[in-house]
Amino acid sequence: MELTSPGAATLRRDPDQATGGGGTGDAETADVALAASGDGRAFERLYRSHVARVHSLARRMINPDVADDVTQDVFVRAWSKLGTFRGEAAFGTWLHRLAINVILARRTTLGTERGRYYDAENVLDAVPGRPVVHELSLDFQQAIGRLPDGAREVFVLHDVEGYKHEEIADMLGIVPGTSKSQLHHARMALRKYLE
Amino acid sequence: MNDTWTERLSEYIDGTLPDAERAALEAHLAGCTACRTTLDELRRVVARARALDDRPPAADLWPAIAEQIGVSSGAHHVVSLAERRTRRVTFTVPQLAAAAAVLLLLGSGGAYLALRRPPVEGGGAIAQRGPAADLTTSPVGWVQKTSSRYDAAVAELQSALEQGRASGRLDSATVRVLTQSLVTIDSAIVQARRALAADPGSAYLNQHLADTMRRKLELLRRASALAPART
Repeated sequence: MELTSPGAATLRRDPDQATGGGGTGDAETADVALAASGDGRAFERLYRSHVARVHSLARRMINPDVADDVTQDVFVRAWSKLGTFRGEAAFGTWLHRLAINVILARRTTLGTERGRYYDAENVLDAVPGRPVVHELSLDFQQAIGRLPDGAREVFVLHDVEGYKHEEIADMLGIVPGTSKSQLHHARMALRKYLE
Repeated sequence: MNDTWTERLSEYIDGTLPDAERAALEAHLAGCTACRTTLDELRRVVARARALDDRPPAADLWPAIAEQIGVSSGAHHVVSLAERRTRRVTFTVPQLAAAAAVLLLLGSGGAYLALRRPPVEGGGAIAQRGPAADLTTSPVGWVQKTSSRYDAAVAELQSALEQGRASGRLDSATVRVLTQSLVTIDSAIVQARRALAADPGSAYLNQHLADTMRRKLELLRRASALAPART
């Protein structure tokens, strides 16, 4: 999958936007340049700045049990791919898209293709192989984790990460209509888990 | 719940419903309590999703990452370009000598400043007398003394970088990132110098200026290594 830049303007949670492109962003640009030339300390600073976001994305998108492993994989790949970073998007945006690619590839490797797209409101009840937990005991984050893979990925990418349906459809290899449908079913299912 | 309009509520929230359908849905909502309740719940789900906090992993993953990419997880470590690229790395002897000399001087200045005693309350900063005292008779003395050699080293490395740029060994994207970084660092140096002019006794500002100058030199040195220099 080609590593392209997402519609950066659509990302609500872009940490580079959060810093307002001020001093922190400038310092990060220097760290990216240093890291690309082999400076491990500069890369560690980049890791410290972005690990929470990458780990949270992995935890929500795939599985908390493998989030550590996936996060390590993301940063190892980022290190080896820094030379391809064009500077056209913010580093955080580039890293985020790289993380999504790694996560989607890992999902396939893990064979988590079961029941990807359920077309029902009670999607949490339709997931095979997941432990039966009393629904009211789940918090919102746990409930996201129990969504079928397709609905969970669309929900996280759209409502948590701020991607558009067209972008999500491109990432997941589905049509935008399926993305909209999965998002609605995920939202309907999650209503019961609002605190 | 099996209301025809329920399926469209998410699109309504996201603003992607065509105008005519939006108007029809709004008319329906005016008379349907169940749909209004569902709409409110869906909005709360969206708001809850947007409010989720990012949390770091429970354990620090850096040591394992550092091991995998071959850098030290503790002290400062720079991976040699030869380890990461097959590209030939060449420095001229004058470039290496100049960079090493200036880094040494800047490092000494930084170390000295770090070891300085803090300002005495009610008085100015008191420089500790010692081997480096000659560089700090004036609070900015060491910076001034290194300035000409620093400028010469920077000029030498920038020349090497320019040659790599002109020869096409550095692609435009790399040049753009490097240029942006250098502009940022130069701006920081200017600001630090201005601040230091207003408060020449500030150990912090001296340290900050030294760090920033060292950072520029380091970036230039690494950037020059991306393209073959004259031999």
